[in-house]
Amino acid sequence: MVSLVPSWAIYNEEFWGAIKRRNSWFIKLRYGAVLMLFVFIVSSEYLLGIKFTNTQLVALSLINCIILVYNGILQWVRIYLKCDPFKFNPLHFSLVQMLLDLTALMLVVYFTGGIETPLFMLFVFHMIIGSLILPGTVIYTIAFSVVFVFYGIVFGEYHNLISHHAVTGLLQTPLYNNFKFSVAYSTIFGFVILMSVVLANKIANQLYRMEQELVESLEQLKAAEVEKQKYVMGVVHEIKTPLAALHSYLDLILQGFLGSVNEKVLNKLNRARTRSAEAIQLTNDVLSVSKLRLLDEIKKEEIKVRDILSSVIQKQRAIIERKKIKLHFKDNRKVKAKILGDRFLLEIAFSNLISNAFKYIDDEGVVEIILDEKGNGIQLEVCDNGIGIPEKDLEKIFNDFYRASNIRSKGYEGTGMGLSIIKHVIERHGGTVEVQSPARLASENKPGTSFLVFLPLES
Amino acid sequence: MAKIVIIDDDPDILDASSLVLNSKGHEVITATNPEDGYQLVIDNSPDLIILDVMMNEPDDGFFLAQKFRRSKITVPILMYSSVSKTIGMSFGVNELVPVDDFVEKPISPSLLVEKVEHLLQLRKEK
Repeated sequence: MVSLVPSWAIYNEEFWGAIKRRNSWFIKLRYGAVLMLFVFIVSSEYLLGIKFTNTQLVALSLINCIILVYNGILQWVRIYLKCDPFKFNPLHFSLVQMLLDLTALMLVVYFTGGIETPLFMLFVFHMIIGSLILPGTVIYTIAFSVVFVFYGIVFGEYHNLISHHAVTGLLQTPLYNNFKFSVAYSTIFGFVILMSVVLANKIANQLYRMEQELVESLEQLKAAEVEKQKYVMGVVHEIKTPLAALHSYLDLILQGFLGSVNEKVLNKLNRARTRSAEAIQLTNDVLSVSKLRLLDEIKKEEIKVRDILSSVIQKQRAIIERKKIKLHFKDNRKVKAKILGDRFLLEIAFSNLISNAFKYIDDEGVVEIILDEKGNGIQLEVCDNGIGIPEKDLEKIFNDFYRASNIRSKGYEGTGMGLSIIKHVIERHGGTVEVQSPARLASENKPGTSFLVFLPLES
Repeated sequence: MAKIVIIDDDPDILDASSLVLNSKGHEVITATNPEDGYQLVIDNSPDLIILDVMMNEPDDGFFLAQKFRRSKITVPILMYSSVSKTIGMSFGVNELVPVDDFVEKPISPSLLVEKVEHLLQLRKEK
């Protein structure tokens, strides 16, 4: 079987996708054409004062029926097509459609007066579409054939070799037997057809080339990003190694393995330990983020979000009790649907989200965690009446390493990676994260923050 | 009183771990690379092996753990992991790697002592 794949079509998936979309679009369009031809046959007598002969009526109705039938068959065949360049594929299918349409149109043109009908202009439209999807040689062959068959009809009628089907009422005087008219119109017609094919084919070619370049650049960017993340992971891991040793020594001293230390020194060592813990947390966060960005695909496990939330909350019991936080955990969903996702990543995200609420809140603060249905997914709201986020920081808080001005000034420790991780994980699951501050639980001096996470049931 | 071999490429981790375990009365022998570590285990037949993941070495900690098990060395192995958990390689004990427990770096001395005592206890019961 002849391969119709044009030389410039390299990106197969995208290319075949476009061809398939066009094929289905042609089929829909053809139903429209059938309807229009039907309306034209039925109403032209009343609207345009055109009178068809019986032969014309029968021929046109028959052509219309045939178009309807082959369109139905095409629609059915389309489903079973495979995108194999060496077998009958959507591209061959386009060619078949084009040939059938051109034949039908040629017959319609013939039965509506040949050179006298305005319908022959529709060939230009067919040629442009053909140029966009078929390789140059194929469409040039088709264009020349169309022009020659059309010339055959025009001059066959002129020389009375074939009968002329005039449309009564369209023209005052017949033109098919007017030599100058026939030559002028058919020459220009031929020229328009060939020029449209040449131009449209060139444009299509250029478009595809540009698309290719774009796809290539995009792939290079992706590769560079992967390299970057690997580099970051390498560097961060190298930094973590001495930090871990440092931290272990501090623990060793603080846990009394080297004997007692005076309280003044102990205080400072404790402080040093806190700061090194912070650095280690940061390296861990950066490693998680880098790993996330290296992952092309996340796992698709069936997950009960409620269970993850319960286990995350369970792990935070200590801080909840210490700060006497009033925690309300509600599941308002009617159907407890599972979502498909990566348990490990979602656990990290939810844990970050919820621990933020507990962290940036005064003692005896209120935290509400509410699960609800929303559209084709679930919504998780984590709302608190804590210190809130200043308005000017709101749009930046999801950036890597960004920490809101109020938490920096109040001396809360943190790495500024938490929300970046959350956003990344949720977006990887096809969801969204929004933030509101002041939140619904706001009161005087306690603006609070509310995070709304949406996760689709099927991402 | 137990004999423990620690294999880690970071001398400070070896020093800190030895200090902690010595203070609990254990005898500690250390090695900074997998080859020496393997030889030490063969020569000394310890009661416990502590093994770092050692991602930098061509034959890393996982490989070495496999090697011990293949040589029919059934001594409990405690593995120091550095990034495993944070990057999501949260493999279960004995699933992919034939080790008995993990300690995440940075090592907390009290946790290390706890895990070591627990593994030694299990070994005694066997």
